[in-house]
Amino acid sequence: MEFIYYFGEVFTPISMLLLIGGTIGGLILGATPGLSPTMAVALLIPFTFHLSAVHGLILLGAAYTSTVAGGAVSAILLKIPGAPANIATTLDGHAMALKGEGAKALQLSFISSLFGGVFGVFLLIFLTPVLAEWALAFGPSHLFWLAILGVTVIGSLESNSVVKGLLSGCIGMWLATIGFDDMLGVKRFVFHSSLGGGVNIIPALIGLFAIPQVITMFANGRFDQDFERIEVQKHPIGDAFREVFKRMRALSIGTITGSIIGLIPGVGGQIAGLVSYDQAKKFSPEKAKFGTGHSEGVIAAEAANNAMVGPSLVPLLTLSIPGSPTAAVLLGGLLIHGIFPGVDLFENHPEVAWPFINSMLIGQILMCIFGIYIASFAARVAQVPKSVMAATVLGLALFGSYAVQQSMGDVYVMAVLGTMMFFLERFGFSAAPLVLGLILGPIAESNFVQGSMIANAQNGPMSYFFSGTLNIVLIAVVVVSIGYSAWSELSARKVAQ
Amino acid sequence: MNYLQHRISSGIIAVVAIWVCWISFTQKPAEAFLFPRVIAVFFLILAVWTFAKAILGRSRVGNGLSRTAARNMAPGVAIAGIYIFWAAKAMGFYTSSTIAFFILLSLYDPSPNSEPKTWIKRVLITIGFVAIMYALFAGVLKVYTPRGLFI
Amino acid sequence: MKKLLSALAISLMGFTGTTALADYPERPVMMMVSYGAGGATDFQARIVTMTAGNEDALGMPIAIINKPGAGGRVGWNWFATEADKDGYTLAAYNIPHFIAQSIKGGVDYSADSFEPIANWGADPAVFVVGKDSEFNSMADVVDFAKANPGKLTFSGAGLFVGHHIAALQIEKAAGVKMAYIPTKGGGSAAMKAVIAGDVLGGVNNLSDAYRAVQAGSIKILGVADLERNAFLPDVPTMKEQGLDVDNASVNFRGVMVPKGTPQEVIDQLAATVPEMFAHKKVAGKMKQGGSPMHIMTRDEVKAMWAARQTTLEELLKGL
Repeated sequence: MEFIYYFGEVFTPISMLLLIGGTIGGLILGATPGLSPTMAVALLIPFTFHLSAVHGLILLGAAYTSTVAGGAVSAILLKIPGAPANIATTLDGHAMALKGEGAKALQLSFISSLFGGVFGVFLLIFLTPVLAEWALAFGPSHLFWLAILGVTVIGSLESNSVVKGLLSGCIGMWLATIGFDDMLGVKRFVFHSSLGGGVNIIPALIGLFAIPQVITMFANGRFDQDFERIEVQKHPIGDAFREVFKRMRALSIGTITGSIIGLIPGVGGQIAGLVSYDQAKKFSPEKAKFGTGHSEGVIAAEAANNAMVGPSLVPLLTLSIPGSPTAAVLLGGLLIHGIFPGVDLFENHPEVAWPFINSMLIGQILMCIFGIYIASFAARVAQVPKSVMAATVLGLALFGSYAVQQSMGDVYVMAVLGTMMFFLERFGFSAAPLVLGLILGPIAESNFVQGSMIANAQNGPMSYFFSGTLNIVLIAVVVVSIGYSAWSELSARKVAQ
Repeated sequence: MNYLQHRISSGIIAVVAIWVCWISFTQKPAEAFLFPRVIAVFFLILAVWTFAKAILGRSRVGNGLSRTAARNMAPGVAIAGIYIFWAAKAMGFYTSSTIAFFILLSLYDPSPNSEPKTWIKRVLITIGFVAIMYALFAGVLKVYTPRGLFI
Repeated sequence: MKKLLSALAISLMGFTGTTALADYPERPVMMMVSYGAGGATDFQARIVTMTAGNEDALGMPIAIINKPGAGGRVGWNWFATEADKDGYTLAAYNIPHFIAQSIKGGVDYSADSFEPIANWGADPAVFVVGKDSEFNSMADVVDFAKANPGKLTFSGAGLFVGHHIAALQIEKAAGVKMAYIPTKGGGSAAMKAVIAGDVLGGVNNLSDAYRAVQAGSIKILGVADLERNAFLPDVPTMKEQGLDVDNASVNFRGVMVPKGTPQEVIDQLAATVPEMFAHKKVAGKMKQGGSPMHIMTRDEVKAMWAARQTTLEELLKGL
């Protein structure tokens, strides 16, 4: 309970000022397409040069928490996930916004982010040593199976046609192989110089989600017959809390899955939301409602992606290994003040480590308060005329995809992928499985190649990939997941007949 | 009409799948293409399956593209294409954004073109958009975008 | 009116006699780092450029842009082929990485594609094992590798980067065959593999290994450099342990511009940048972060690049 003692440091005027500034700034940056939490935190590092260690880290902690949650704003209102963490939020969140329930969706997302986030930080405070062992247990073979498990989620994302979902996943995995091969440094499928850097995930996300919407708005024409001004419903905040508590199952599935997956170095943050969404759907009696603007979908996804924040820092704080790109940037923020994370961090520098963690707790609460405040007027975005919306989203797509690496190549990739996605959507394909393939492809490949190399030096691939408790558990989960998807698909068909 | 579109689109995907397969199995060094080969095989199987279904007329989902939709989107897509692929770099982000935003708005805004009020509104919205973009990307984030004319 | 104005403008420019270059830099400068945000190169690049905005340095801030991928190939390829040659686009280099990659081929750059400005750091490669490993010296490692050819797995940040060069040199010097496992995700992923026991050992950056030793999760068995390092005075070099490994794998980090950048700009940068690195605020932060500094001027770097080119061509010949 040592951490309570250090709350004093968080409540000094300057710390509170940084916390509030970091939270509001983080929400805005997170809501901007193209600005992932990693980039937002990296942008803040120069500011921390001029601050003391404690203050610098309080700022970074607040910004990290709120950018992850802020991504939900553009995911819900514009259907553009700010980062891979928010992909699952678009599925039901944007559907809700189209029904005029944007304010409700945003409130639900910030409240469940708060619960997930606080749970994650408590895990970090109380269970760090245990969790560190768990994080290390995942070697190349396990990460490979985890990626395969991620692919089975496609069955849940794609309600129309599983074959087309899998095909989209394959296209995504193929797109991920474009560019220099990460292990051997060989150029693959580079048939235009813009592709030298490969297909980067953030520009791809912007293109695949934003551009089809823009073109659809064009296609509906100047005098859109279907277009009626959406009535934005006000939603009392008390109702939002009640709704979240009513959906306890989705909230706890999201929180627990998110914190477990968040721990795993190199995978966590990107797929926590999607896997939790899949689990929440499988356990829900109202499966058919998912994807049509069902509150459980938003709650599970957003609880998961903030629950992952705390555990994702475990490998960094105990072993000095950053488990995610954002953690790597935070490591820089620590090193710059001469603080070396490690098992004795809390003994050597308690005056820095605890306020940092506490600031993430307070940051969650501030994020929820400001987020709900923003929700009340941000939901009006749905009332913006389609013509203004189309032009704005197009402009944002250009600036956002350029800003990631200041590269026109990324912009061209974004535009080409987006146009392709527009046509694919017209024929029953959807963006989420494709993006999932794009994320999981490199994880599966690099761990497979690395695992095979280790296996060849040891007892061969069979024993390396198929033995050991963790491998067998993961394979079993993969089999169950596939079996369950096939069974529910078949029973759904029977019902239809 | 719709069936034909399904056949064409799944046919294109199948051709891409064959091409990916071909590249993956012919390019050297083979070990760098190990993973693409695995993907290419699944890609090809699924693409052929989808194509076969489309030929048999059993593609159940997706509405295709109607003639009206195609006619409606053509000018917007053309402007957007010029904007992204040429003007953004050649004229600078802010100048090209101003022009593209204003043209797109005028093309798709249902307000009557004959009233001066409409045009004032469009100009103001355009200025507001570019000002916010400038404040966010040039001011706060200090992103150096390609410059052409003016800014 | 327009004509008059433009005539006035031209005469004014002639009058003051200034060219655009004399004002360099008149806007913020961008520096490309070909590794991810938070990696050792990125972290150091952010520190050494922190005083760029001061009047005695460039007078304009330097913004770091990351273009990670394939051991740096993605970024350097972009830098050699697409970057503007106006002095506003700098890049961080890593020696021996990009030279080794260009010798190996498959990329669009070589040492001739770039003009060095100055060097800021030298980070030797070290051999690390988990804290509970049975290996306590390089001799133990070599003995095990001799008894089990090809079975000693050890990680590094990729192929044809400093770690791989050190690995090749160790194998050559000891006359053994080991299993080098390149990881994706830079030095920290390679370090994770060592700590978690996925591999038996690893080659890593001295700066990262120094931190991991402080955290108590690894042992460092040897430094691949000519002399012991000030951060680790107790760790012997490879040479001291009977392995003929020189400093060819030491990771030199510095700043460069693409070939074709105006000579005046190069000269101006070459004069100011080493002083910027020498700023005491920079030195203090680098020391706190456990990053060894090694400042070299443009001429010294040029000589170093040329020397590395020869050594690496020799080493990589048979591969």
